[in-house]
Amino acid sequence: MIAPRENEDVWIHSVCDMCFAACGILAHRKDGVLVKIEGDPNCPASEGHLCAKGQAALIGLYDPSRVKAPLRRTNPQKGIGVDPKWEEISWETALDILTDKLAKVRDKDQRGLLISNFDHIAATYFIGGAWAVAFGTPNHHWTGYYCGNYLHSSMYLTNGSFHSDFDLDYCNYAILLGNQQGFMGGLNANVAARKMAEARKRGMRVVVVDPVGTNAAAKADEWVPIRPGTDGAFILSLIHVLVNELECYDREFLTHRTNAAYLVREDGSYLKEGRDGKPLVWDLKSQGAVPFDQADIETALEGSFVAGGEKCQTAFQVIKEQVKRYTPEQVAPITTIPADAIRRIAKEFGAAARIGSTIMIDGKPLPYRPVAVNIYRGAGAHKHGTHTALAVQMLNMVVGAFYVPGGHRGVNLVGPSRSWMPGETVEGLVTPPATIGRAARYYDFEDKRPEGMELHELFPISTNRSPMNQLNLQDPKMFGLPYTIDVLMVCRRNLMMNNVNPAIMAETIKKVPFVVTFSTHLDEVAELADLVLPEAHFLERLDFMPNTLTHTMSPATGHFYWGLRQPIVEPRGQARRWIDVLFEIAERMGFLGEFYGLLNVKWGMKEPYKLDPAKRYTMEEMYDRWMKSLFGPERGLDWFKENGYHKVARAIEEKYPGPFIKPRFPIYFENMLRAKKSVAKVASEMGREWDTEDYQVFPEWKPCPAYKDGTPPYDLYVVNFKIPFHALSVTTQNPWLDDLAEHNPYAYKILINTETGGRKGIKDGEEIWVESVAGKVKGEAKLTECIHPEVVGIAGVFGSWAKGKPVAKGKGVHFNTLLPISLERIDPVSTGVDSCIRVKVSRAA
Amino acid sequence: MARYGMVIDLNTCIGCNACTMACKAEHATPKGIFWAKVLEKEVGKFPAARRIFLPVLCNHCKNPICQEVCPTGATYKREDGIVLIDYDMCIGCRSCMEACPYGPRAFYESDGAYYPGERTAYEKSQQDFSEGVVMKCNFCVERVDQGLDPACVVTCVTECRVFGDLDDPQSEVARLVADKKARPLLPEKGLEPSVFYVGS
Repeated sequence: MIAPRENEDVWIHSVCDMCFAACGILAHRKDGVLVKIEGDPNCPASEGHLCAKGQAALIGLYDPSRVKAPLRRTNPQKGIGVDPKWEEISWETALDILTDKLAKVRDKDQRGLLISNFDHIAATYFIGGAWAVAFGTPNHHWTGYYCGNYLHSSMYLTNGSFHSDFDLDYCNYAILLGNQQGFMGGLNANVAARKMAEARKRGMRVVVVDPVGTNAAAKADEWVPIRPGTDGAFILSLIHVLVNELECYDREFLTHRTNAAYLVREDGSYLKEGRDGKPLVWDLKSQGAVPFDQADIETALEGSFVAGGEKCQTAFQVIKEQVKRYTPEQVAPITTIPADAIRRIAKEFGAAARIGSTIMIDGKPLPYRPVAVNIYRGAGAHKHGTHTALAVQMLNMVVGAFYVPGGHRGVNLVGPSRSWMPGETVEGLVTPPATIGRAARYYDFEDKRPEGMELHELFPISTNRSPMNQLNLQDPKMFGLPYTIDVLMVCRRNLMMNNVNPAIMAETIKKVPFVVTFSTHLDEVAELADLVLPEAHFLERLDFMPNTLTHTMSPATGHFYWGLRQPIVEPRGQARRWIDVLFEIAERMGFLGEFYGLLNVKWGMKEPYKLDPAKRYTMEEMYDRWMKSLFGPERGLDWFKENGYHKVARAIEEKYPGPFIKPRFPIYFENMLRAKKSVAKVASEMGREWDTEDYQVFPEWKPCPAYKDGTPPYDLYVVNFKIPFHALSVTTQNPWLDDLAEHNPYAYKILINTETGGRKGIKDGEEIWVESVAGKVKGEAKLTECIHPEVVGIAGVFGSWAKGKPVAKGKGVHFNTLLPISLERIDPVSTGVDSCIRVKVSRAA
Repeated sequence: MARYGMVIDLNTCIGCNACTMACKAEHATPKGIFWAKVLEKEVGKFPAARRIFLPVLCNHCKNPICQEVCPTGATYKREDGIVLIDYDMCIGCRSCMEACPYGPRAFYESDGAYYPGERTAYEKSQQDFSEGVVMKCNFCVERVDQGLDPACVVTCVTECRVFGDLDDPQSEVARLVADKKARPLLPEKGLEPSVFYVGS
């Protein structure tokens, strides 16, 4: 309990939740009133700084429109704009209703419960996952139509890490492909912004490739406007220029740290020999094929050979040949980037990579490759986006800028004090550390008929398959799962705003007989729910480890760190934390012991801190045990409340694990051939025709539907983009951030190139319609020079419509309304929904 | 006596508005009023176009014209150069807003609460002004008097702001002004601002 004293004046350690960066904050409480939030100087993720979102969080705490008590729907009619006719009920009644529904699901078919949970990938996200397992449902990953699909798939596959980043401490040349890393967007946004500023001061060149002139583009040395969906062609062209025109590639790295030298047969598969099936390489000394890891050999990186009577060539030889299709002259008309610019950027990138150089850090000589190309949502958010994302990592590998000073690196391939390490396949290739779990096993496939709503077996090279939940709900016959969803439980997610077109989404959600949502507001999901449970504001929550080490903690912070989000004030009204409520539900339904058992495993609990299945613990007690199990009896909950952060500086091997780990990074994706077979078999068992074309050993650029579909009058592309002071839909109801957006020239507007607008008779500031085949939105036109002439730009996740969010309602434009969903518009590897479409624009008057 | 000033590096500012919000949170400014803000404009034609950012606040001029024109003496300058408004003396005539060429001042007419109805507990506890006054950046005088930097300086995620004593040649602000040819806005007005900019 928090007991504010009179004349109290305290600063309290906690952790922000306004985006997934989860920065440490200090909250100033005077006489029980939260009066200020600042960055916590003791937190490696904020170092005393804080963005607009984090500081604005405090006014949101006082929002009078928050849900304060459980509400039950009394109007059986559901729809957008239909009054649910809420009836306030007690928590007791609410939990009776909910456990009754859940018990019926459990009796009938446990898989009939679908959970939507995200929690910024904090520890609570994984606790929710364990709860789902204890309940018995595999369906607990509906995060929205997009959750890094293309990025995470490509990262796990090429380097076993979840999230992309690069080393701003040493990088000298960065290409940001459709992302704003370092400009208050993306992984550990706060630290990245500071390090980006320092890097730019010391002369790092930044090239921003983006259809929209974003904040990042504003500060870049060069903004390269690109036609949406063509990033893959651009990247493959850079690779072509480097390897075929400039012969600029890191032979040492490619030969010994990747599978580039592995011999491949004409069908693309590895040439293998021997009992253990190790791939072979060509030994120039013995002039023969030998296992890749044989000692004392001189490995050929390039060339075609005959081994055992079979024609073969090195994987790198294949790559060199394949990229010849992407000459700058061929790619220029695809991307709209002039050929000489492509050639120049390739040359600059290659030169800046300083291939062959080393740098001494902490007394250790390390390869020094101070260049990186970084990708996040924008470039990948297209059909075939996985190919684009894989091409990006290929480019980083071609110059050896992989997990070494100055180059690309993901989060935490190696754990603190090597507590976890990447795995290794029999082919000697990297796989995600075991701590990340089974979600990303990209080499051994289970050819079984999918049981989960996400159809994992149909998409084996993926991390989450959220859009498949929607498709299965819309049409249960589509994949013929042996059950239907009877209860949808939404935990702090806005599935209506973060999925495609709301009219389509409303019909989807209406198909579920019972919908419960943990919401701070009567938001767009609540409008369609049967039961609303009042959720605590993050400043009222207790959460240990809001930054998950394995997923969202950038090495840029220089530390491993563990933080505590502790409540600054008591929850408003009857609001509770959703995760607490899940424990109570487990207790009421009789699977709490099993849940505890799973947490003991998940948290690696040691004696005497293991949770006893026969007991009932508060959240405080569980976190206290978890902390003491991790750090010893001195560092329990009280220590974290007092000190905020436990942190450990990273050793050099933990900052730049590349040279210190054994497994190689795949630059040639032979496992895709096996994935293709597995998918074909699974599909055939399901009696389906299935597109397996994208399972290729080598990424290609393929046009997304929008690229091909320029039929008049749908002559423009629409894309969305990020502004630095809003994140997801969670910040839209914040009145300070709304005030900022109202005063911003771009936030709530529809961006259109000045010349394009002029051609269409559209004036700056006038109302226009933007219409796709799926839907249309109205908003104020902003004529700008800072956007590609073929593109319409819409920021953020704005355009809320729920009455329960009076600040956000009607502000800005809802981009997702313009998107449809279908198998044809989903990336066939990662399931990411193509979030770019052709539109027409017209004056609204 | 010190003369407080600020140097802002325009190369480093990314237009994220962390400063804008730090100021709002520090002073609980009314709805629609920002003492610190980031102005934006576009320069050039596509594709050689870009947005540029200009963080602005009160310049705390050495020769504050606002003080000169204030009929009641509400606007005054401390010995350390910080220009302040005494809300009790301000009659809301807005002569200062007319006179100041920089536009950092705002007239708080009414209805500044962020949520309809009663002000929040936060606003009640933090707002020391009433309706009908002119307000502006006070260089976070409440922090400066405790030896702290202004809120916008502390929060800036790129550390593009430096605050200190312009009269102390050893201070970073004084060195930046001396070394990097830092310039104020509209120097031709002769008001001698204490806020300088470097970079572009």
